Amino acid sequence: MASRVKSIGLRAGSIVVLLLLWWAASEAMNDSQVLPGPLAVARTIVADFKTPGPEGESAYFDVGITLARIFITFSASMLAGIGIGLAMGLNRLCERSLLVLIPLMLTMPTILMVFLAIMWFGYSEAGGLMAVMAVVTPFVAVNMYEGTKAMDKSLTDMAVTFKAPRTLLLRKVYLPQLMPYIFSAFRYAFGETWKIVALAETFGLKFGIGYMFFFWFEQFNITQTLAWIMMFVVLMLVLEHGVFARLESRAFAWRSASLARGRA
Amino acid sequence: MSTQQARTVQRVKMAPVIPGEPMRQRAMASSAITIDKLTKRFPAPGSGDEFVVLHDISLTVDEGKFVSIVGPSGCGKSTLLNVIAGIESYDGGSVTIHPKAGRTGAEPRVAYVFQSPRLLNWLTVENNIHFVLEAQNVPRPKWRELVAKNLEMVGLAGQERNYPLNLSGGMQQRVAIARALAIEPDILLMDEPFSHLDAITARKMRFDLMEILARAKPTILFVTHDLSEAVFLSDNIYMMSTKPAQIFKSVAIDIPRPRKSDDLALFDLEKTLVRDFFSVVEARG
Repeated sequence: MASRVKSIGLRAGSIVVLLLLWWAASEAMNDSQVLPGPLAVARTIVADFKTPGPEGESAYFDVGITLARIFITFSASMLAGIGIGLAMGLNRLCERSLLVLIPLMLTMPTILMVFLAIMWFGYSEAGGLMAVMAVVTPFVAVNMYEGTKAMDKSLTDMAVTFKAPRTLLLRKVYLPQLMPYIFSAFRYAFGETWKIVALAETFGLKFGIGYMFFFWFEQFNITQTLAWIMMFVVLMLVLEHGVFARLESRAFAWRSASLARGRA
Repeated sequence: MSTQQARTVQRVKMAPVIPGEPMRQRAMASSAITIDKLTKRFPAPGSGDEFVVLHDISLTVDEGKFVSIVGPSGCGKSTLLNVIAGIESYDGGSVTIHPKAGRTGAEPRVAYVFQSPRLLNWLTVENNIHFVLEAQNVPRPKWRELVAKNLEMVGLAGQERNYPLNLSGGMQQRVAIARALAIEPDILLMDEPFSHLDAITARKMRFDLMEILARAKPTILFVTHDLSEAVFLSDNIYMMSTKPAQIFKSVAIDIPRPRKSDDLALFDLEKTLVRDFFSVVEARG
């Protein structure tokens, strides 16, 4: 308990120090065209949410659009990656044919994939989706595949002797063993997804946080540019630490439950 | 896969019992497992050769009996259980299993207790049992009673919601036994189920197993390398040797139950069987 308070204190403290440094630098510079202070940026953020922006929509709209894009592309590439990885792990033919292709996909630089996807699919939602899938899916698939290789064969045999049908085997024996692999892929995939979505919004897609960021960048409005960057960073931090961390601790409750009682 | 078609276990469905005649069916000592000239080969690693894991094995296990297979490690006795359980194929001979007399039209139910508990650690004790009940299509309304009855039988009443990792090795193995009994098996296969436990726990488990089986009464095929364990538990013992892996002796044990572990008759029998083992081993060099 005490150590938890301490770690929260430390984290909050370092953020406060960063904000103070920012504030001190902006005071020293004394030029809001170059480095506006944190307060000015915060006020701009609040104003962006309250009043319609250049496209006639408030920040809620753009944040919503970005979130929806992240959610859809992320889910699609996770599901595809998990499916392909499982197929590779459980089926010889899939394993042999795909194992060659995946390193090829993985070596492709992310930014090139984004440009390629935009060239093929235009400045459209499909282009963004393809870019994310091309980068994230192979990574998730490889992780899953490695997970299947690490599964405990003796549990599969146990399930087979009791005549567990395939779906039951998948749900209760395979997936729980793959959870650590799914979560580690989850983390990376999410980080990649929001970076690619931001990139695609900046260069091509209409609306969204990246789009607004680029809009104000072209106007040379540093306060607004910083405001949209901050919105993005805060949103992603909340998602990563608030939502995923909670999901993860729920998925592994059986471990901590065991440990807690073991100690008691 | 080999070009030759892999053989699997034949599961005999019993013809319906004729009304008015059930007693006669019962009176016959019907067999639960019949193995006839079973042969299994594994490909030898590195070369194209094969080596023989099981050679010309024949045995029968009568319904309701406790039969042990005793042999040194590596004699193929676990492989034999895996063949009966249907997780390994075989190359020659036949393996037939029958449901309990009086159970009509059903496929025989086979349960397996392994050397290690093989529980699903992410599921509670209760859900581990639910897993096999679901696998065997046992109707859901029966689950609660089956879980309660079998956990009580192995002495783990009240542990339904606990996770396996909170339990000791002995308790985990009890859960595995409860899981196997929950499907009300016609045949229970046990592969050195107490070999991973300390001597005192193993001894206690053997006594408890005798009591549990007096109530549950499945047919049991038990594999062990421990002759005194086999002598204490079994109605029949098949003794296996290595190189080649075959059965060289079968013994019926008529000592009445409940047995005491310090019964001199058990000791004498064990001594004789140990001598037999050594003579076979020495004769083969």
